[in-house]
Amino acid sequence: MNSLSPEVALSRISPELRPLLCSVVRDGRVGLDSSSCLRITDLKSGCTSLMPGPCCDRFKLHIPYAGETLKWDIIFNAIDPELPPDFIFGEDADFLPEPSELAHLVSWDAGKPECLLQLVKELLQQYHLYQCQRLRDSSRLLFEYGSLLEDPNYGHSMEIYAGRKNSWTGEFSARFLLKLPVDFSNIPVYLLKDTALDPGEDVALLSVSFEDAEATQVFPKLYLSPSIEHALGGSSALHIPAFPSGGCLIDYVPQVCQLLTNKVQYVIQGYHKRREYIAAFLSHFGMGVVEYDAVGFTKLTLLLMWKDFCFLVHVDLPLYFPRDQPTLTFQSIYHFTSSGQLYSQVQKSYPYSPRWDGNEMAKRANVYISNTGLEKSQPQSHFKTSFPQFFLRFQFFSRFLNGDYLEDEQLRKLVNAKIPLANFNALTNNKKSFVTVFINLY
Amino acid sequence: MAASISGYTFSSVCYHSANSNSDHEGFLLGEVRQEETLSISDSHIGSSEFLNVIEVHNHEPCTQLFSFYDYAGNVNEENLNRILKDRRKNVIGWYRFRRNTQQQMSFREQVIHKQLTHILGIPDLVFLLFSFISTANSSTHALEYVLFRPNRNKYNQRISLSIPNLGNTSQQEYKVSSVPNTSKNYTSVIKEHGTEFFDKDGVMKDIRAIFQVYSALQERVQAVCCEVDQSERVKEKIQEEVNKLKEEITLRKRNSAEEERRLQEAAAVMLPDNSALPDSSHSSLTQVVLSGPSVEPSLERPVNSSSPPIYSTTLPPDSPSAILLPRPQAVGSPGHPSPSLGLGNGDGSSSDSLNRQATGQEDQEDDDEDSSEYENLVSEQLQPPSLTETVLLGRPATLWPDGDAHSPPGS
Repeated sequence: MNSLSPEVALSRISPELRPLLCSVVRDGRVGLDSSSCLRITDLKSGCTSLMPGPCCDRFKLHIPYAGETLKWDIIFNAIDPELPPDFIFGEDADFLPEPSELAHLVSWDAGKPECLLQLVKELLQQYHLYQCQRLRDSSRLLFEYGSLLEDPNYGHSMEIYAGRKNSWTGEFSARFLLKLPVDFSNIPVYLLKDTALDPGEDVALLSVSFEDAEATQVFPKLYLSPSIEHALGGSSALHIPAFPSGGCLIDYVPQVCQLLTNKVQYVIQGYHKRREYIAAFLSHFGMGVVEYDAVGFTKLTLLLMWKDFCFLVHVDLPLYFPRDQPTLTFQSIYHFTSSGQLYSQVQKSYPYSPRWDGNEMAKRANVYISNTGLEKSQPQSHFKTSFPQFFLRFQFFSRFLNGDYLEDEQLRKLVNAKIPLANFNALTNNKKSFVTVFINLY
Repeated sequence: MAASISGYTFSSVCYHSANSNSDHEGFLLGEVRQEETLSISDSHIGSSEFLNVIEVHNHEPCTQLFSFYDYAGNVNEENLNRILKDRRKNVIGWYRFRRNTQQQMSFREQVIHKQLTHILGIPDLVFLLFSFISTANSSTHALEYVLFRPNRNKYNQRISLSIPNLGNTSQQEYKVSSVPNTSKNYTSVIKEHGTEFFDKDGVMKDIRAIFQVYSALQERVQAVCCEVDQSERVKEKIQEEVNKLKEEITLRKRNSAEEERRLQEAAAVMLPDNSALPDSSHSSLTQVVLSGPSVEPSLERPVNSSSPPIYSTTLPPDSPSAILLPRPQAVGSPGHPSPSLGLGNGDGSSSDSLNRQATGQEDQEDDDEDSSEYENLVSEQLQPPSLTETVLLGRPATLWPDGDAHSPPGS
């Protein structure tokens, strides 16, 4: 039977058992990997078929653990709902926990809805201990486990799955799932907003698979909760080093931890830096600010004027600012490209240094943007670099169309010089629309 | 290990289980016996196999769940005794019925099983699991049962449970199980009417009567054996006397023959010319003749008593004499095969055959005795004519079974 949605499962279960199952299905997160919650399948009834109404009282519970999924059967009796359940531990026929260790079984209280969930958690703890005991078959892995256990950072948030010995090759495999103690609390909230569902707790889990008892084939993998992954720039941004041959977990895990922490720190710092940058620009360009991203401080748009020519400057701040240079996009408010977009030119290489503070950056940017009047005599040479100057030509031309400069020698030269582009054609053809747009922008 | 449960017990357990609206459990009562099978085959002398057979006679259902254990699975011995009462020593296992679950022992069942093993003191306690699987639309229901032996290592935990006579009894024999009847009514009826069939020791009366007949027959047979033994001894004595008398006869005959020979020799000395050859032939004849009868009893004796040594002891003195006899038939003389020579040949051949038989008898007594008997019979048939020949000396016998046409040495 396929996995049932929680609501369907709850509707089919016997009414007296419903609260117990509710807490499992709705809030049921056990173990380290709390992003995937407990699933219920195979709902069956222990009553005769003559019993009416919803009377299912036994089901299969899928529990994520150390990268595997455990499938445990839980058996209640709908006729006696106050009795504690019985369990069948799937393929782990050897797993037999001591009942005295299960506090919620010994003092089972069917009136408490979270009793079943707590019991499952206790069973999972016992299962973890059982798996750790199975590590005894391999002295090397037992050493790894022991060394990690001693470290207070990792000792208490570990899940181990010791796989069955392969009966053909006699190989033994194990998987360690560790929760990395990285503090994600300072990550700015905006970075974590992109998931539709409840993102849950922010965790970083390191899964290390040992394919053989001698630890010659080791495969580490880092799992981040989706919001963290997004905040750090996607799965491609984070690469962990390969497990060194002959190394051990007690050295490797802190290494990965440190790497992750550094990344997080960098992201946090970047946020603050961006904030500083935008604040500086705001103070410098004051009235010229059209809009800016006040949450993430990633974008800023300015409307500047240079000798009666108005243009927009978009500033895009990358994630790893100030290491990465912000992008300046100059955009004309008068002119369209042939595809109907506002003509824009992107500038990525301008004088910049990540060591400047926000104020300094704003000043230099100001200088750069308005650096047009210096080379007025040689317009062509600054054609590509000096954005405003380029469009000064257009300004002249527009005036020319309006009736001014009809006998300007220079302009005639310009027209013959084959400067781009279709803009000229656009101008002549859409004179009216241009004028309209011009008015709207203003 | 094998297990069997009687049909009525099984159906009773199923009835109790299927009628409960939840899981159901109870205890299995019965006994364990050990069967030893001795098998003898050509390849090895014999091997005995031991098989533990668990027989379930009865069951004791529990009225509700958790009746003898608590939430943690700890078994309460008082409650257990209350349920089992005085049948505690008959417990061989326990059972559980669950609907729509896997055929595997659950967590609590394993915990309880361990404790029951310890409390009841049964090392090989078994667990019978019924699972009742229904399809979604309740159209098909399957009752599956598995007998577990959890106290062994996990590789041979399941035992096959057989229900005798659950099958096609037209092709198989209807088996009578050895399950004792524990019904109270049955025991009271048997007690009442039992005296007609059983005597004071609890053995059926018919059996005793038959046994008496048997012992009487045995006695008679013993008596007959004694009689046979005695008669055989008497017969043996008589046989010995007969043999002794025969020996005396031959001795007397020999003596008389010797006397006659001496008389003849004396007569032959007086007439040496004419009757040299015939005399020698006669002497050879007489020699042959004399050797004949001595051979005959030896021929006869093996027929009456199968004692090869008698054979062999008589042969050596005869055969050399047969061999040393001259063979006058080499000289051609028509028409009259010498009976003695024929006899001699016959003797020689018979003695040869006797020789052969004497050696042959060491190998295979039966065949050679038969063949020797045949030849002896044949030679017996020969003998009367030869006896008559010895009486009528000089008359030639025309035909001998040997088929040898021997010319007499001289007429």
